[in-house]
Amino acid sequence: MTKLYLFVRRYLAVLLVLGTLVSFAQERVVTGKVTSSDDGSGIPGVNILEKGSSNGTVSDSDGNFRISVGSNATLVFSFVGYQAQEVTVGSQSAINVSMQSDVTALSEVVVVGYGTQEKKEITSAVTSIKSEDFNKGTVNDPVQLLQGKVAGLNITRAGGDPNGGFNIRLRGVGTIGANAEPLVVIDGIIGGSLSTVDPNDILSIDVLKDGSAAAIYGSRGGSGVILVTTKSGKKGTTQVSYNGSYAIENVNNSIPVMTAEEYRQVPGHVDLGSTTDWLDVITRQGNAQVHNLALSGGSQSTTYRASINVRNTNGVGLKSGFEQLNGRLTLTQKALKDRATFTVNLASTTKDAQLGNAASFNYGILANPTMPIYDNTTTSPTAGGRFGGYAERDIFDFFNPLSLVEQNERDKKETRQQASLRAEYDFSDLVEGLRFAAFYSAQRESDFYGSYSKKSAKFGGNNGLGFASRSTDQRVNELFETTVNFDKNLGGADLALLAGYSYQDFYNEGFGLSGGNFVTDAFTYNNLSTALDFNNGLGSVFSYANSNKLVAFFGRANVNIGGNYFVSASARYEGSSRFGENNKWGLFPAVSAGVTLSNLIDIPSVNSLKLRASYGVTGNQPGSSYISLQKFTRTGSFFYNGVFGPSYGPQSNPNPDLKWETKAEIDFGFDFAMLNNKLTGTFDYYNRTTTDMILPVNVPQPPNLVQQTEVNIGELKNSGFELSLNYAAITKPDFTWTVGGNIGTYKTQVVSLKNDIYNFAETGVLYRSSMGAPGQSAVQTVRVKEGDPLGQLWGALYDGVNADGSYKFVDIDGDGTVDPTSDDDRTVIGNGLPSATFGFNNSFTYKHFDMNIFFNGAIGHELLNSYRGFYENNETTTIKNWNIVKTEFYDPKVTKANVNSIHVEKADFLRLNNMSIGYNVPLESGAAVRNLRFFVAGQNLFTLTNYTGVDPEVRYKDTDSDDGLAPGIERRSTYFTTRTFTFGVNLGF
Amino acid sequence: MKRTFLRKIWAIGLGMSLVTFSCTNLDEELFDQVTADNFFRTDQELIAGLGAAYSSFGGLGNHSNLWSTNELVSDELIITTKGGDWFDGGVLQQLHLHTFTPDNGFFNNTWGMLYGGVNTANRLIFQFEELKAKGNPSADAFIAELRAIRALWYFWIMDGFGRGPLVTDFTDTEVKGASTRQQLYTFIESELNAIVDVLPTAKDATTYGRMTKWAALSVRAKLYLNAGVYTGTPQYAKAAADAKAIIDGAKFNLEPTYKDNFAVNNAGSNENIFVYPYDKVFNGGFNWPMMTLHYASQTVYNFTAQPWNGYSVVEEFYNSYSNPVTNPGPQGPVWLGLAVDANNDKVPDTQGTLDDRLSNFVVGPQYKPSGEKAIDPAFEGIDPDGTNLNFTPKINELGPNAWRQGGARIGKYAYELGGTPNMSNDFVVFRYADILLIRAEALWRISNADAEALTLVNQIRTRAKVTPFASLTADNFLAERGREMFAEMTRRQDLIRFGKFGQAWGFKPAKDAASVTKYSLFPIPKQQLDANSKLTQNPGY
Repeated sequence: MTKLYLFVRRYLAVLLVLGTLVSFAQERVVTGKVTSSDDGSGIPGVNILEKGSSNGTVSDSDGNFRISVGSNATLVFSFVGYQAQEVTVGSQSAINVSMQSDVTALSEVVVVGYGTQEKKEITSAVTSIKSEDFNKGTVNDPVQLLQGKVAGLNITRAGGDPNGGFNIRLRGVGTIGANAEPLVVIDGIIGGSLSTVDPNDILSIDVLKDGSAAAIYGSRGGSGVILVTTKSGKKGTTQVSYNGSYAIENVNNSIPVMTAEEYRQVPGHVDLGSTTDWLDVITRQGNAQVHNLALSGGSQSTTYRASINVRNTNGVGLKSGFEQLNGRLTLTQKALKDRATFTVNLASTTKDAQLGNAASFNYGILANPTMPIYDNTTTSPTAGGRFGGYAERDIFDFFNPLSLVEQNERDKKETRQQASLRAEYDFSDLVEGLRFAAFYSAQRESDFYGSYSKKSAKFGGNNGLGFASRSTDQRVNELFETTVNFDKNLGGADLALLAGYSYQDFYNEGFGLSGGNFVTDAFTYNNLSTALDFNNGLGSVFSYANSNKLVAFFGRANVNIGGNYFVSASARYEGSSRFGENNKWGLFPAVSAGVTLSNLIDIPSVNSLKLRASYGVTGNQPGSSYISLQKFTRTGSFFYNGVFGPSYGPQSNPNPDLKWETKAEIDFGFDFAMLNNKLTGTFDYYNRTTTDMILPVNVPQPPNLVQQTEVNIGELKNSGFELSLNYAAITKPDFTWTVGGNIGTYKTQVVSLKNDIYNFAETGVLYRSSMGAPGQSAVQTVRVKEGDPLGQLWGALYDGVNADGSYKFVDIDGDGTVDPTSDDDRTVIGNGLPSATFGFNNSFTYKHFDMNIFFNGAIGHELLNSYRGFYENNETTTIKNWNIVKTEFYDPKVTKANVNSIHVEKADFLRLNNMSIGYNVPLESGAAVRNLRFFVAGQNLFTLTNYTGVDPEVRYKDTDSDDGLAPGIERRSTYFTTRTFTFGVNLGF
Repeated sequence: MKRTFLRKIWAIGLGMSLVTFSCTNLDEELFDQVTADNFFRTDQELIAGLGAAYSSFGGLGNHSNLWSTNELVSDELIITTKGGDWFDGGVLQQLHLHTFTPDNGFFNNTWGMLYGGVNTANRLIFQFEELKAKGNPSADAFIAELRAIRALWYFWIMDGFGRGPLVTDFTDTEVKGASTRQQLYTFIESELNAIVDVLPTAKDATTYGRMTKWAALSVRAKLYLNAGVYTGTPQYAKAAADAKAIIDGAKFNLEPTYKDNFAVNNAGSNENIFVYPYDKVFNGGFNWPMMTLHYASQTVYNFTAQPWNGYSVVEEFYNSYSNPVTNPGPQGPVWLGLAVDANNDKVPDTQGTLDDRLSNFVVGPQYKPSGEKAIDPAFEGIDPDGTNLNFTPKINELGPNAWRQGGARIGKYAYELGGTPNMSNDFVVFRYADILLIRAEALWRISNADAEALTLVNQIRTRAKVTPFASLTADNFLAERGREMFAEMTRRQDLIRFGKFGQAWGFKPAKDAASVTKYSLFPIPKQQLDANSKLTQNPGY
């Protein structure tokens, strides 16, 4: 095969030379045949494009083609599974092309830490997703581009809050301490803010999945690393492209509650005389506009790309949405005879958001459906005279859902700025293969909040006084790095060495104030000096500042022996100011190796097969600064000589031994291509052990100053496999179909919750996640037990309903009495974490049309449906105060709210995440417009699930307590899920 | 060529190493925090440090802490489960029924408050000892004050948990197991003996809210009064003597009107010996209106926040005020039942004793400042006056379907109109009336016919505008003490001392002796056992 390849290359070179010798400047017809170099058969469906135009054709079923070309034309032949070829037409009228099958569909370039590598050389688990494979539709957050695309990477956001963030977990839950989300690196900026990057500007996203790939990021690589590469200009082109879209968004799913008619049938109901569909009242049709204009180009020494992105989004919840303006400039300039390369990156984002009020969803579900929206009287049971005319009721835990949104403002203004400069110098003239680079970046993020509750707002309105707050947070970090690369061919083996130094410091500060008691609503949050609370000493103010820094030395050696064997070793020696003074520096080594088996032995119908194995140690930082120090703080006031003065007391116990959390990970995998490269795939098995997690443990006081100390403790084990496959099923000239999918499985076990000195849980068991008010505050719904899987939902086992309307539970310990508050009669009633997540993609092209259908899903997890746990019953409180949740489980015999196994539901789901249909307008050769495409996309089109709550999506942490030990609970303020339709255009010239 | 090359390589190497090794300092730089390195240097900082000694008292006014725990296991207060509301995994019902377990959070909160106080006192004593060594003249007074505070924490630890680690030296970092009740008793007694005469005796702004000789004597009087329970050896004569020392000190006397001691601005009371000053601005945390009042009471008091409808008064306890037999006095209409008049208004339907101390309760129909009736739309069907909010002394059940308006509510401290969840009333820890009753009881225990004992009790009764007793019995004394000291955290001690802790009240059945022995002590909290392997659990838990 290699021989053939060389022959073809030589042959083509001759063609090219001939072509240039005799060139005529005129338009004419070229015909020919495309054959496979493997067996000489014609290849149908090959794309043949005149370079630099949109003029193109496709080979027929025998591989023949015919195309009209301009003068000096170059034809580009491309087809899945084959290497693309360029042929200069010159004076030829017949061109026969023999296409070389793509020996490695693995020949793409993959971004890794501090560099790039060809995929065939990669020996660790790295997945690269290119922009053409990103999720389609209206995507405001870069991580959403990847949702479901990478085996083992789970990106979740329950509900459709336009201002809500995503939870990201790589290979399941790797820590129960801080920093459970992967580290993000944007064009080399470690810890870069994803909100500086518009999804339209992203070229590729690479995910470093295993410990050996992430170890070069040392004490921050423990939860994996996501590398974002933005687009840049290309030499010799000048392009303008515009992408625009408009989307409409509607509520897709909420919680089923009784209609007014149904509610009026319930004995003991309180009829307030109206009929209101509250869910309709508090939602609307949302919309979103996205405009992206990008200019790019480049001369011999300078390339550039500049883009402007405008986003304007209105969510389905009233007053939730944002306007965002983002600009990004990338400029690369060569100097000193092209030996020096300077790259400047500038990015800026401003976002003005209205945050809405998620509580309106909660109370929208609770609200009595016979209650009027407005009631301006002062005496009726829903008198809203003093509440701005919004009907209200004097009952526990209830607020008019519409008033919640309309009488409360919550605004946020975000500013993000990022600048970086990379200077590289190639010393090849002195020492072959020696390069030096210095990199500096600065990032500044600021958030500015304002909120106001009107005097007449029952929620937050301070009983007629009004309440306002303003606050701002600013986060700044600077990174300075130097690296030296040295590449050398040692005959038979290629050696690539990297050494570097990294320094990064962070400074966070902020302040805020809040107070109420206004004479007028006119100022909202803009004139806080008029809040009488400040005069009366009832206003509150705060300010803070903290810093931390990281210093690291790192190195890596890659060896490629004859393109068959690959070995890589790396280490990062890193210190953090957040570690205790006795443990400031940690070492994070990694080693990995691979062999391209298909080069050594011939395996039938396999085009390539690479086996690889890796081991790597990564770390995790403490979640905040100063936790190893003994600090004092204001503990309140103290009456001294007739006046109150401040009192100061201890805030934390010292722990000078505090160090990083450690994760050791083994990964075995293989990458393959078979069936003429039509089927490609990757398989990985991983096994991770996380130790020394940073958690607060209870300590005796005295001798300790306070009752908890932050220590390194515990062990978590985590394993699973990942498989991704891609199959070019149909490759006909007018019709192609590619199907692909990925699946990742997870098994997370809590091995230990103690260390030599301390116990995170004496008996090896912890209970987390209070159910909440009303009445179930002390009911813990999650159990964490040593030796058991993480994510156990824990409670009493449903066994029907007693005559008195209370739940009947199984007498688990068989002692004749059922005590649902005792562990003897409680058991595992669900599992909050999925056993597998998957994605499944189909893409089609038919003539000028293209279509993409992408599903994702998760299986094996359960969710505790909190709404049902509180309100799906005929308890007097529920009936008299609220509406009743009515799913298939509703049982009117139940008259006592008490969460148990009946409220835990299987939440397996399959979701049509997005689907798009596009049409590429066929354009005349040489037309000013380079490409024009119209598309329509739908997102979250349907979800197959038996779960009756809002969203079956995995909850990796408890949203009420922000507790990573308590997954699997759908809380009551979940934003409804939405369905989005987007219409858009891509224009290039 | 070669030399140029070498020079360049050298220059690169040097440049990199300069950059590299200049930035490896990883000390943490602090901006908004203080450590021992940069605090406790000036007098002002030291006084702020001393203030921390009192911070732990802030837990007194909270739900689920020392005060709540003591009250809810007694016959004074109860939290019923009202539908889904206030079940909280059964911990509240456990407290009432005397079936509580070591994982009940009330006990850990209590332990945390008390040992937090001990720890702070130890730390400050250590710091002031260092100052004393440097010749600071005022250090001795501060040290005495801190030892008195620490003695009080240990008194509450010994009284509640029975056992606990006895740690007195801040520099001792060894984790300790529990000392016995006797050991704690001996320590508290010797500490108080050592400092009682060093403490200030003034009653003015300089000592308000601070530990004085009188406060220390109050602690010791209570220690002696309950010595029989704590050590098996009663010390009534010593209790009587300490009470007499306070009386003879002539700094305190009974306020003419009982409720003035608990007014919003009660700093002027001549009866309060030691208070913890709360303030809605400077020192929040006194949350009783939230804890006890009904949601709709917000409209009655114009509170800025909606109350939680938790704590009620046990029905029999409320009735002990109006019972004409056990509490003779002027008779008049009182709120007992559920009768309504023709206007559908609740009426006081029973004749009973009009004890002045009924101001301890909020009961009956509730009216807004405008005079309109407060409305509870979620009233239970049984309530004859419909949606009108009124508190009926009757409590139908402990749960799950207790009436939302059931039970008289705590009205001891005056609620401020337009108040916030944080009251400005100062929390009364020791009060002169208590001292009179301690002396009365001690004398009566020594001799049942003691005339001074009866006189002292009748001083209290006369102030309450009820008929003086003709003689003292265990029952009428305990009941009188209950009426006077309601919600002042003495009832649990009193019931145990009078041997009545096993009686039935509310929904708690009578208990056998083993049960009384077990539940007379709080369990050592599970979290503390988890954290300290040298601790062992109290018997029975």
